[in-house]
Amino acid sequence: MIGRRELFGATAGALVMAQTLKADAAVAAEKLKSYTAAPKGSYLPRGTDGRLARLATLDLESHQDFTLGFRLMHSKALRAASAAAFERVLEREGIDPLTPLTGEQVRQLVETEPGINIASRAWLANQQVTWKTLRDHFHANADAYLSEMEAADKSGPGTLELAPNLDIPTYARHEIHIQPGGYVGDPFAGHIYHYGTNSFYISVIGHNEQDQVHKGSAARLPLPEDGKVKRILDMGCGIGQMSVALKERFPDAEVWGIDVGGPMVRYAHMRARRLGVEVNFAQRLAELSGFPDNYFDLVTSYIMHHELPGEITKKVIDEARRVTRPGGVYYPIDFNSGGTKMPARMMYSRWYDHRWNNEVWSFEYHALNFTNEIGARGFNVVKNAKPALPGFGVRHSIKV
Amino acid sequence: MAIDKNRPTYAVEAIPSDITNSVFLGNPAVDNLLSCVIAMNAEMWATKRRMKVLESLLAKKGITQEMIEGYVPTAAETSEWEKERDRFIELAMGPLANDGFRTIGTGFPKR
Repeated sequence: MIGRRELFGATAGALVMAQTLKADAAVAAEKLKSYTAAPKGSYLPRGTDGRLARLATLDLESHQDFTLGFRLMHSKALRAASAAAFERVLEREGIDPLTPLTGEQVRQLVETEPGINIASRAWLANQQVTWKTLRDHFHANADAYLSEMEAADKSGPGTLELAPNLDIPTYARHEIHIQPGGYVGDPFAGHIYHYGTNSFYISVIGHNEQDQVHKGSAARLPLPEDGKVKRILDMGCGIGQMSVALKERFPDAEVWGIDVGGPMVRYAHMRARRLGVEVNFAQRLAELSGFPDNYFDLVTSYIMHHELPGEITKKVIDEARRVTRPGGVYYPIDFNSGGTKMPARMMYSRWYDHRWNNEVWSFEYHALNFTNEIGARGFNVVKNAKPALPGFGVRHSIKV
Repeated sequence: MAIDKNRPTYAVEAIPSDITNSVFLGNPAVDNLLSCVIAMNAEMWATKRRMKVLESLLAKKGITQEMIEGYVPTAAETSEWEKERDRFIELAMGPLANDGFRTIGTGFPKR
């Protein structure tokens, strides 16, 4: 099982995923040959690296290279030192390391333990460098980046629907991952998210600069029994990496990506356009998608639900059921869930991620048994199905 | 650079996190110093990486890695560089030798 913070640390799933991604990378390399020329007005002073537009300055690229490298080091040396300190605390307190504890119990244990806290502070400081360097750059060159998006807004392939009058729910306004402005509050939220999160994958799953992880997940999504996939919905699509990967897998399908963040879908559209992939992006709420009943053959989401309050997750499942056609597949990709107590060390990772990586709703997510919720809301959850993302929850569901 | 308020950005007000006021190490100054060290290392790596680019470009112009590695400084250069090294070390590492024991509230000694 991979907890949220384990995405930033070593896991057993890494090797399995790395092998899978080697094959994915070969396919991606072929696809790169079709990378389309940047549209007029694009701000690409340093060109592209495959699917990835290179960051505009060498120093900015090097700052990201550093924070990525620091994450790798942190996931090994600092996490090991922190774990050793944690063991000492538990021994001192007479607590069996396997005893399930709550987040609050763990928080009190580590409050004054420097061996743990220096690793936690270092991780946080590194994350801040990632975000600050990116945000400063995009804002310092705001005119160029806004012009680039404006040039792409109304042209295809694909479409972009922005909703400036959408009432953005409070729950979606938090600075998730401590990203400045979060997903809705910065004009360059998509840019910042894209380059900032590239380093998130490195210590567990491998590289994702070429969307390898998303392409691998899209490739593993199961089909409806009749094999018909004409319409696909990616809920909470963010910058559209999964949506694009799905369109590339199903080139004849009508693919939609929706997200609450206007700057996110705006970036998603610009990027998909640059890749020459036809996806329809829209700024909409997952729980109120606006699509007709029974419209989609395949509905998915990529690591969205742990960013939602528990009650919203239930509404999103209901909405997914409404828009999925009978026999269609619903497969939301996200962490395993269903537990408010864990052995101390694991719970610390979860609690720290919740509190200091600003994963505001993650405890609500983990308080739910997400798979059971899907099964209770009009879907048959397929037993012994395969994970679309190794190490994450298996939620292959079919609309009854 | 401020963005023209009439230019649509589709951004709305976010709820800021409270991490900037966090204290993990018992003393906010120590937390801040660690943040400075990590940021400084990011800058240092950016400089080293730029040097690697420069060396690669120099190689294409005939200045090879071997020439750089094998360069023997003149006596004058050696003397000058040693002074620069010592200044750098004094600046960067000198504070480690500070024997601090007066708290901020300590008054002036009698004069």
